[in-house]
Amino acid sequence: MGLKNYLFLFHDKEFWWALVVTLYYALIIIPLNIVVSLLLAILLRKRYKLNSMYRTFFFLPFVLDAFVVGIVWTFIYAGRYGLLVNILKPLIGSIYETGFLGSAKTVMPSVALAMTLKGAGFGMILYIAALDGIPKEVYEAAELDGATGLKKLWYITVPLIQPVTTFMVIIGIIAALSAFAEFYAMTGGGPIVYKWGAPLGMTKVTGLYLFNHFSNLRLGLAAATSFVLLVLALGLSITYSKIQRKQ
Amino acid sequence: MKKFLWYFTVTLLAIIFMFPFVWMLLTALKEPGTALVLSLPKKLTLYNFKKVLFEFGFSRFFLNSLIVALSSATVSTLFASLAAFAFAKKSFFMKEYLFWLFIASMMVPGLLYVIPQFLIVYKLGWINTYWGMIVPHLANVFGLFLITQFMRQVPDSLLESARIDGASEFKIWWRIMVPLAFPIVATVFLLNFQFHWSNFLWQLIVAQSEKMYTVPVGLAMFKSAHEEAYTLEMAASSVSIVPISLLFIFAQRYFIEGITQGAVKG
Repeated sequence: MGLKNYLFLFHDKEFWWALVVTLYYALIIIPLNIVVSLLLAILLRKRYKLNSMYRTFFFLPFVLDAFVVGIVWTFIYAGRYGLLVNILKPLIGSIYETGFLGSAKTVMPSVALAMTLKGAGFGMILYIAALDGIPKEVYEAAELDGATGLKKLWYITVPLIQPVTTFMVIIGIIAALSAFAEFYAMTGGGPIVYKWGAPLGMTKVTGLYLFNHFSNLRLGLAAATSFVLLVLALGLSITYSKIQRKQ
Repeated sequence: MKKFLWYFTVTLLAIIFMFPFVWMLLTALKEPGTALVLSLPKKLTLYNFKKVLFEFGFSRFFLNSLIVALSSATVSTLFASLAAFAFAKKSFFMKEYLFWLFIASMMVPGLLYVIPQFLIVYKLGWINTYWGMIVPHLANVFGLFLITQFMRQVPDSLLESARIDGASEFKIWWRIMVPLAFPIVATVFLLNFQFHWSNFLWQLIVAQSEKMYTVPVGLAMFKSAHEEAYTLEMAASSVSIVPISLLFIFAQRYFIEGITQGAVKG
């Protein structure tokens, strides 16, 4: 009783491994998602005709189920008969056989890309609202001082939309720590890699680790994992927003 | 020239974003056994849809998804707007503290509620029932937050004059507050509907027999059972994706409003 379950987690290689691969996933998807969202928002700030139609295209995947979208991507990423491996056949060597989700090198970036294309519309909406809030005069003043396109973006736009970026990072940390449906659909935790002297799942993220305890009816361990992840999610979010505020 | 470049870029991006779903629909409309051939379907057929809906039980799963999502969204939106009325216009013990506590709970990743909620639902004997799928999610903090912000702006004088006319508090809520807050109440309803339509993990855990499966759970089980039937799998995915997409396209304004409001104020 008592701390037994927490001690088990502390000594469990698979738990630490789950944290490592979750961190790896977060380090890919959070920046990727922010860059794509911001790019879409900047593009849609131009109010040409059909603007709202394009906005619908970019935002629509966000409201769909991560599990079902994952199933669709599994079909596209598959080896041999999959669409992508056939298009890229001359470039990818052995991935043609394994598919993008079957290779330890490509699996995490592939999941991150699929989920960015699903979720970037959310960040886009937030960034559009933030960009609309920047007064025109700021840019006009910068232009008088000789600032050009990229400089304006980096020295004016990026700092002024920092609150949204902070929010995106925090939401991203929480989403990575609780990512489940996309990995359940696309990888099931695989492929297996040999690390730390044991076979470990290249994409066995914390969400799958937790579910694994649960489905094997180790409810105490599942609950302990939940609690550790909760502390991590809150701790990381609070630390990050404090650092941001100091700057 | 600049305009052309813009259209070129956004069109390319739109194709990338929409491609998986177009590919899904095209595959679902292909004749069985031709999914692995990388070509456009020669002849469009609804065979796969008929098969998943009527032979593999997806019409039942669809009905279950609809029951769960509709009833959860309706009841949780009503609860949220009732609570919002109290938080916006009443004073009671520890009100500010409670509100803050609710808001803070939004920081907890959804996955971490699953184990404790499962234990409660299990003890109540609600595993494999609609109750188990619906009741744990009826308290909706995000909706409460959005509606409270909106109801705070309703002038007190309006409520006072209704009280003088003899309206009960319940009547004030239903006849004044809800109609005034209608745009945001509709937003909360849609966001809740979308959440419950896609709440895969919880449904996977609670629905244990085939008659209780929702569409994504049916798809998960289907996946393991019929490894090679890609056209059928894509038809089943379409059954899940097409309805929510249509709902979204018609009510897009409300979705976007809710997200912007939530982020700006939160």
